[in-house]
Amino acid sequence: MDLVSNLALGFSTAGSVENLFFCLIGVLLGTLIGVLPGIGATATIAMLLPITFQLEPVSSLIMLAGIYYGAQYGGSTTAILINMPGESSSAVTAIDGYQMARKGRAGAALSIAALGSFFAGSVSTFLVAIFAIPLTGIALKFGAAEYFSLMIVGLVSSVALAHGSIVKALAMVALGLLLGLVGTDIYTGTPRFTLGIREYADGLNFVAVAVGVFGIAEILRNLEGEKTRTLLMAKVSGLWPTKDDFRRMFAPVLRGTAIGSALGILPGGGAILAAFASYTVEKRISKTPEEFGHGAIAGVAGPESANNAGAQTSFIPLLTLGIPANPVMALMVGAMIIQGIVPGPNVASEQPALFWGIIASMWIGNLMLVVLNLPLIGLWVKLLTIPYYVLFPIIMAFCSIGVYSVNSNVYDLYAVAFFGIAGYLLVKLRCEPAPLLLGFVLGPLLEENLRRAMILSRGDPTTFVTRPISAILLAIAAIVLVVVFLPSIKAKREEVFQEED
Amino acid sequence: MTLSRMTRRALLATGAALTAAFALAAASVAADFPDRQITMVVPFAAGGSTDVVARIIAQKMSEDLGQQVIVQNVAGAGGNLGADNVARAEPDGYTILMGTVATHALNPLILKSTPYDAEKDFAPISLLVVVPNVLVVNPELPVKNVEELLALLKAEPGKYSYASSGNGTPLHLSGELFKSMAGVEMEHIPYKGSGPALNDVLGNQVPIMFDNLPSSSGHIKSGTLRALAVTTKERAASFPDIPTIAESGIPGYETYTWNALFAPAGTPPEVIARLNDSAKKTLADPTVAERMKEFSAAIVASSPEELGAHVKAEIAKWTPVVQDAKIQLD
Repeated sequence: MDLVSNLALGFSTAGSVENLFFCLIGVLLGTLIGVLPGIGATATIAMLLPITFQLEPVSSLIMLAGIYYGAQYGGSTTAILINMPGESSSAVTAIDGYQMARKGRAGAALSIAALGSFFAGSVSTFLVAIFAIPLTGIALKFGAAEYFSLMIVGLVSSVALAHGSIVKALAMVALGLLLGLVGTDIYTGTPRFTLGIREYADGLNFVAVAVGVFGIAEILRNLEGEKTRTLLMAKVSGLWPTKDDFRRMFAPVLRGTAIGSALGILPGGGAILAAFASYTVEKRISKTPEEFGHGAIAGVAGPESANNAGAQTSFIPLLTLGIPANPVMALMVGAMIIQGIVPGPNVASEQPALFWGIIASMWIGNLMLVVLNLPLIGLWVKLLTIPYYVLFPIIMAFCSIGVYSVNSNVYDLYAVAFFGIAGYLLVKLRCEPAPLLLGFVLGPLLEENLRRAMILSRGDPTTFVTRPISAILLAIAAIVLVVVFLPSIKAKREEVFQEED
Repeated sequence: MTLSRMTRRALLATGAALTAAFALAAASVAADFPDRQITMVVPFAAGGSTDVVARIIAQKMSEDLGQQVIVQNVAGAGGNLGADNVARAEPDGYTILMGTVATHALNPLILKSTPYDAEKDFAPISLLVVVPNVLVVNPELPVKNVEELLALLKAEPGKYSYASSGNGTPLHLSGELFKSMAGVEMEHIPYKGSGPALNDVLGNQVPIMFDNLPSSSGHIKSGTLRALAVTTKERAASFPDIPTIAESGIPGYETYTWNALFAPAGTPPEVIARLNDSAKKTLADPTVAERMKEFSAAIVASSPEELGAHVKAEIAKWTPVVQDAKIQLD
């Protein structure tokens, strides 16, 4: 069979001593920069590009890919331990992961994240191998109208993300959408809400906003009193998940893997969207939705599997079409061109060793990650025992370096400071930062695709319902909306809030 | 009014004096230039075609200069942020810009206010490469060449759209120039970069696109996109079978993307000469030539004076196009 011989070729390529070595370097580096808040895979890969010039094409791409998915692993560590998403896609993990850590279950949360990621990584790697070529066809069927409808599903579902007042959640989504409007209007070139600052012409930096509202805000909140801190230290115990934990993570991991694999193929923040979507689904179908936001295992297992699966499948458009799904993939395209490989549909047939080697290396890399990270969990948890006066300045310094390194733009640092204070105020007002971030991510995509679809249909809004995929997505959105506002469920929600208050 | 004008003049005078002083100081150190690392600012995101050219060039220039040439991506505002950073940098040759047709010809024409003057604020070093653009269509569009496309567009005016990498980019202007010279109608659909635009053309969401030849070349080879013509005066060396637009019924049509190195104005001539010499050697290197060829980029080394004249000519060429197409961004 073709697949078997292809995979055999892939594993023999990825299994050479040299390639194993570069895979290891990649995942180690990736984990490290993932753990350090703010320093993302994009900046690291950009800095390493010149070095890859000297390597074999396969080795360099295996290493760069390792950095990318290694960072997804490492990012969850920081999110769980200090509520600071090391990678934008682990912003969701911070919600429940950090609460688990506060309850002394940091070790279990980290293990769940690592095991869920490994499972999702393995499954989606095989999906890449089997379906890379047919799946590309589906991605191509998504035009502007379909993307718009997909974003509507995302936004409607985001109401379920919140665990407080619905009004506050909607307000946060709206605020996020507005923040997403900052920057140049791509259709007219008009700068909007930039306050005349040219550095904001391309919009606010997602990492800067996320680090601000999650991380800096959390640090400010912690500075209010050292008491919570001592509590946290005393209760760190039980690194390994219990039997009950395993039972409860099983289904969320499966669902997260499915959601992540599907959304990862779509260009534009697949992994981030996948994590949000998985969280929403888990909360919606959970028998105990009141646990979410207070350390629900499904709230860690689902999104972590989803973002890792998404990270793997986002290689599909790159490998089969040469089209980057996100900034990291754009860098991979650059790396391929520097090596003299023209990315496109020919890569699989002209460079089979490269194509299948990268796919095989992803599975090997995921295995390395889980082997590396499980023993390290004890070490990471020890991080929590470092006193605040040492830990906080270090975190702030790394955040600043990391955010600055993305665009060498000092205004991104001002944004971190501003959103840090804004995030602190939101915490005080009992408003959730997660719906805000979702609105911020989806807003620009929603607008861009709405307007593009309208231009393409020459102003005819029926385009959204006459195109089948778009119509199905809008129907799903309508169903979600009905379900949310159905009297019985509404009553249940209110019950939940009363318990919380 | 008078006061402000006087202050302005005083400032200008001080500025000139300072520049002269810097030039003097720099001249004395020009002999041992470079004695530390050089920063090459790329005004676009890492991974794009300008970035790829910069990294290939920087690598070889480091070997020749004996000092590391670091590529720094300062993306934003269509390249203006990075270009402005270099315009305001110390004129000592340690900060140089990978300029493009966007930063040095189009942006100043299209944008209401550009923070720098493309001619006065920069000291040209050398032109590097010229990259052809290409007119591609989805294979389902029933046209095999430019003549058939023109016939289709004339038969059903306003029905078809074309994609580009964004408003005011060289590719958008290639499309506008095509429309105005051929007298046809096409709706422009801007995207955030070539990648997403290409995605929609492959999926036949938008049937027509102007793209950089390097970014489309894989699809042209595999037949997932049909190339109708390249935008340069002569055919591209990497695709000798693709005709030019000029030879397909729109004589005189010519657009392309170019990359060139610039230093801040006031950089000592000795330093410019050293950098120009290094750029020339780099472009003559066979491995660089090979990479550029695979990338469909034509190598065009030049003297600093030739680059200065080139910038002037490009601004003169694009001014009427921008005015005709009424492209004016804030």
